[in-house]
Amino acid sequence: MWFPDWRLRRPDASPDEPCQVVGDGVVLAANSLARAAGVAVGMRRRQAETLCPAVATLAADSGAEAAAFEAVAVAVEDLVPRVEVVAPGLLFVPVAGAVGYYGGEGPLVALVAEAVEAAGGPGARLGLAHGPFAARLAAESTAAGPAIVADTRAFLASLEVAVLGREEMAATLRWLGITTLGALAALPREAVASRFGPAGLEAHRLASGEDRRVQPRPLPEDLVVEERFDPPLEDLEQAAFAARSLAHRLVEGLGPWGGAPYRVVVEAESASGVLRSRTWRSADPFGEAEVAERVRWQLRAWVESGGVPGGLAVLRLAPADRSDRGRQLHLGDDAASELEAARALARAQALVGPEAVLAARPQGGRRPGERVLWHRWGDPAPAPERDPRAPWPGHLPGPSPALVPPEPRLLEVEWDEGSPERVRLGSRWEPVLAWAGPWRHTRRWWAGEGAADRYQVVTSAGAFLFEVRDGACYLAGVYD
Amino acid sequence: MAEAVRAETAAPEAFSRAVAGAEPGRVLGLVGPPGSGLTRLGLSLLADSARRGPVAVVDVRGWLCPPAAWEAGVPPERLVVVRCAARDLWGRVTAALLEGLPAVYAEVPAGANEAVLRRLGALARARRAVLILRPLRGDLPSGLAHLNLVGEAVRWEGAGPGHGRLTRRWLTLRAAGRGVGGIDRVLEVVDDGTDALRVVSRLAAAPAGRVAG
Repeated sequence: MWFPDWRLRRPDASPDEPCQVVGDGVVLAANSLARAAGVAVGMRRRQAETLCPAVATLAADSGAEAAAFEAVAVAVEDLVPRVEVVAPGLLFVPVAGAVGYYGGEGPLVALVAEAVEAAGGPGARLGLAHGPFAARLAAESTAAGPAIVADTRAFLASLEVAVLGREEMAATLRWLGITTLGALAALPREAVASRFGPAGLEAHRLASGEDRRVQPRPLPEDLVVEERFDPPLEDLEQAAFAARSLAHRLVEGLGPWGGAPYRVVVEAESASGVLRSRTWRSADPFGEAEVAERVRWQLRAWVESGGVPGGLAVLRLAPADRSDRGRQLHLGDDAASELEAARALARAQALVGPEAVLAARPQGGRRPGERVLWHRWGDPAPAPERDPRAPWPGHLPGPSPALVPPEPRLLEVEWDEGSPERVRLGSRWEPVLAWAGPWRHTRRWWAGEGAADRYQVVTSAGAFLFEVRDGACYLAGVYD
Repeated sequence: MAEAVRAETAAPEAFSRAVAGAEPGRVLGLVGPPGSGLTRLGLSLLADSARRGPVAVVDVRGWLCPPAAWEAGVPPERLVVVRCAARDLWGRVTAALLEGLPAVYAEVPAGANEAVLRRLGALARARRAVLILRPLRGDLPSGLAHLNLVGEAVRWEGAGPGHGRLTRRWLTLRAAGRGVGGIDRVLEVVDDGTDALRVVSRLAAAPAGRVAG
């Protein structure tokens, strides 16, 4: 549900003369008279005033706009629960359940249109489609009457790639001869992901009518942040200040999980026990400033409508729909990122040769090196020759040395009555601080091989694994 | 001396939480001689990224022993070891891996070109991949790593004069760089052979010219 001119619905905006709303020096909305004179949304204020000198310029007040829009949100919420506000003038309504309840899409949309007109006046555009992206475009495409899209994919197929809102990617796609979302959706997803990365993957999903998956991964409940106020806050500015610190905590808490939320549920509890809740949604993941701003707007809307009697006692923010942005895509989640990983490893193989790009599987053995079954990456893992779950008496206990020379290296060790005293590391002799062992490895004695004794030796430079056999001492591992 | 400058600490905390180094798009430097425990530390820092996709180790010496990585929490099917002893190929191989993997632990061969290292750092940032660099000799160029962890001392528990076995390692690290706000900190990390490294104490930075450990 979208009001294209919501910003202009304010008492000081006259419908009879050119009028524009400006924020940060940029035109955010312009009425039909101003548009007729050449003023366009996104234009610099100075340029707009040059084109239309008679235009009345109003400063944007998002808080007031949001407060006014609350009545519309409440009216829609009376019909369908879990309304999600994106910005003053734009909200999404999940209708999957409501369609059945109200007897079909037509009756539901008619009811919503009626409620919206009663609460917010005429001028709303309604679009119904599969997913927020298509619904928004459907609402934008209709001048009069609600647009109900039966086949979302077919509806999107004819639209220009510019509607994706990524100008640079759209320009590249046009240059490649791909001008519509249909043409983009017809390309292999892996190829688009490979060329444009995660942004391309998202664009391909949108063009295919799949939209972003809702709640791609569950969020732990402890990411919900709340603040209790005693005494309750009466002042909006104080509440807005608290909202800022809560927004900081919310985004900070999500940090280790990667990414930011697409939806934030703002809940407020008044001193008299009234609980209010509103979900805010964004096409782009919320940052800290955006969350704080939405909370401020929402609090103002509630306060101005008398929604928190007795002051604000609890303010709670809950994230939902975490984004993929800011992290690599899950390998298991996404075939495209798996393909990227495979390509990267294949490139490495091309550089160093297939024998040098290796994967490993555990197998049984007594020496650290024996417990690894190497195979070329990309080849199927061979079955282990020795059972890794068997006890392997005489094997070394963990932790395993992180470094094991491919061939044991001769090492100089000084012994005193069977105890290692000093060991030569490079050019210096290090005293042995502690040692454990030996673990005896009885080798093929029938073939003339003697037993090997292994020692864990600690020096001030770290711990090492030695192997003594045939009267010589070898370095068998470094506990690095 | 470590005891002399030990600060009051609370309960041990997970290493990855205490040291925000191995995050997407960050370069982490691990500097210290062999035996100082930094290989295992680097492998354990791959474990988080291994949940998101395969991770790679660029093994210059051909010495890496995968069980240490498995014990540190990297699943065997998510670990790829790339052996590359040639210095001229090393940069290109590491760059190729960074293009598609969420994290790469790379041993840096002696005499690696500084420009190559800086390009790898930029690539890791652009691809939002974790790059852990372990120079085999010397330091990393200044300003390259978001966080440098320098192995200062290592202490083992479990082995006595001819009995017991190695069970637990105490590693004293000096953390430096932007990751700690430009102010050097000394950490003590305990590694008991499982996949959870824990910071057990944060030591005050030792005065200039003295070494904690």
